Amino acid sequence: MSEPKLPSSRAHWASDAPIISVRDLVVRYGDKTVLDGINLDIFTGETMVIMGGSGSGKSTLLRRIMGIDRPTSGHVFIKNVDISCATEEEVNDIRRIMGISFQSAALFNSMTLADNVALPLREHTNLAESTIRLMTRMKLSQVGLGDAENLYPAQLSGGMRKRASVARAIAMDPEILLFDEPSAGLDPIIAAEIDSLILQLKSAFKMTIVVVTHELASAFLIADRMCMLRHGKILAVGTTEEIRQSTHPRIRQFLDRVPDQAAGGQDDYLQTLTKI
Amino acid sequence: MSLLASVGRGTIQRAEYIGGLTIQFYRGAAAAWRANPLTGSRLRWASTIQHMAVVGVNALPVVCLIAACTGLIMALQGGAELRQLGAIQLVINLVAVSMTRELGPLITAIVVVGRSGSAFSAEIGTMVVTEEVDALRSMALDPIEFLLVPKYIAMLLMLPCLTIAANTAGILAGGIYIYFTLDMGFALYIRAMLEALLLRDIVSGLIKSIAFGTIIVHVGCYEGFHVTGGPVGVGRSTTAAVVKSIFLIILADLLFTAFFYFFWR
Ligand SMILES: Nc1ncnc2c1ncn2[C@@H]1O[C@H](COP(=O)(O)OP(=O)(O)O)[C@@H](O)[C@H]1O
Ligand SMILES: [Mg+2]
Repeated sequence: MSEPKLPSSRAHWASDAPIISVRDLVVRYGDKTVLDGINLDIFTGETMVIMGGSGSGKSTLLRRIMGIDRPTSGHVFIKNVDISCATEEEVNDIRRIMGISFQSAALFNSMTLADNVALPLREHTNLAESTIRLMTRMKLSQVGLGDAENLYPAQLSGGMRKRASVARAIAMDPEILLFDEPSAGLDPIIAAEIDSLILQLKSAFKMTIVVVTHELASAFLIADRMCMLRHGKILAVGTTEEIRQSTHPRIRQFLDRVPDQAAGGQDDYLQTLTKI
Repeated sequence: MSLLASVGRGTIQRAEYIGGLTIQFYRGAAAAWRANPLTGSRLRWASTIQHMAVVGVNALPVVCLIAACTGLIMALQGGAELRQLGAIQLVINLVAVSMTRELGPLITAIVVVGRSGSAFSAEIGTMVVTEEVDALRSMALDPIEFLLVPKYIAMLLMLPCLTIAANTAGILAGGIYIYFTLDMGFALYIRAMLEALLLRDIVSGLIKSIAFGTIIVHVGCYEGFHVTGGPVGVGRSTTAAVVKSIFLIILADLLFTAFFYFFWR
């Protein structure tokens, strides 16, 4: 294991040791390399936004950080524990300080919202049922769903489902919170609500938050630092300001919303056409 | 060459499948030990009982009806032949023994595959597609313990019960035939039937039904857990669960029958 290197710049309030540290992470499906040597440090208390186009491997990276799938090679350290080669029990211990809100919300469709949020509490604590009810109601009202606890996921709108999945993710008061595309597919007003929910969680609980998104506005609003993912590699890591002023052509292309053929020239464009 | 390659690939795939099932079986057994409903958490209890109702109680009418029809078919087919030999009373033995040893467990299992095996793979497959299984794991919950074990316990308890019900229905239906052709009273039929049956016949059938239940749950769940390709994949896995379960059930039936034939006479 190599000593995690400190990045050139980071949010001034973040502590020194990285809480999440990704080293030379490689993920392959068949002969397709989705992540190709990712190195990333995320520090306690900061909000890291991982940006990148569709299919750039953002969800894949987030799933390795959560330890849901194993990488082909490389390491993921959470609090200095290497979860990429730990046993399922060891990973489970780490998962208890982490919460994740999936891209598709992934609520349990057979359970009410209250039961969804209460599940980790019922399974991992010995709290009395009345306490669990109280905590569940608290978490749900924290995300603005206090009056929906007896509804089933199918009865909710997309935005409500997303928020409910956040409530479930914070049920165990995790130290690390992961979001996969929190505002994708939602209308701008609800997307803004979710952004402000993330900002609230950040200021109220000092959680370490990792957000995967391709929505620029929301990324710049919530991030302390951000990184750009493309073709399985990290193009740049830095504070929002550094990324905003970056001169890297691919980052400029992403930030300025330039389509691929304009950036790559006509030959590249023809090539992409013939490849399909 | 390509024939050899495809045979080889097929063999490896089958071996992989059986290996995967075996691993899942051991993980299920270990998890069942940890989460058995008597000492485990309230949640698993509730889920197990719910599955017992769906797998067992709700299947009772259709299992009994199909078993009764089968018993009657056996009696009619056997009666047609045995009448020519003047040994029509042997229909009683024929129905009793073939129902308890063979047809009761088999028919019950096949009905339950269609009802529950497919439902298991659809339920779990959908949960895989909607990332619910990943969500379980992200909460440090074991999907095997959470999803498979309640189904398995419910199946192990209910399939033998259903089999006994099927045996009873089939034998009683055979009695209807005897009543109308031999003019033999029902009480007499029951007594003759009990004489023809050995405890071994019933027990060997129940042992089979436990094996069949294991196959139904594990193949159904395995297909569900290995869904790829979204909602279309769920449909595919449901079909595969039914076909593979029925094949493995027949195979297991053959093995058990051969075993009992040689070692338990
Ligand atoms: N289970 C898998 N099997 C094969 N390919 C996969 C799998 N999961 C993801 N991929 C591929 O990895 C690439 C990145 O996927 P993903 O991480 O979901 O992208 P993003 O979340 O950035 O849109 C995609 O091209 C996808 O086809
Ligand atoms: Mg994604």
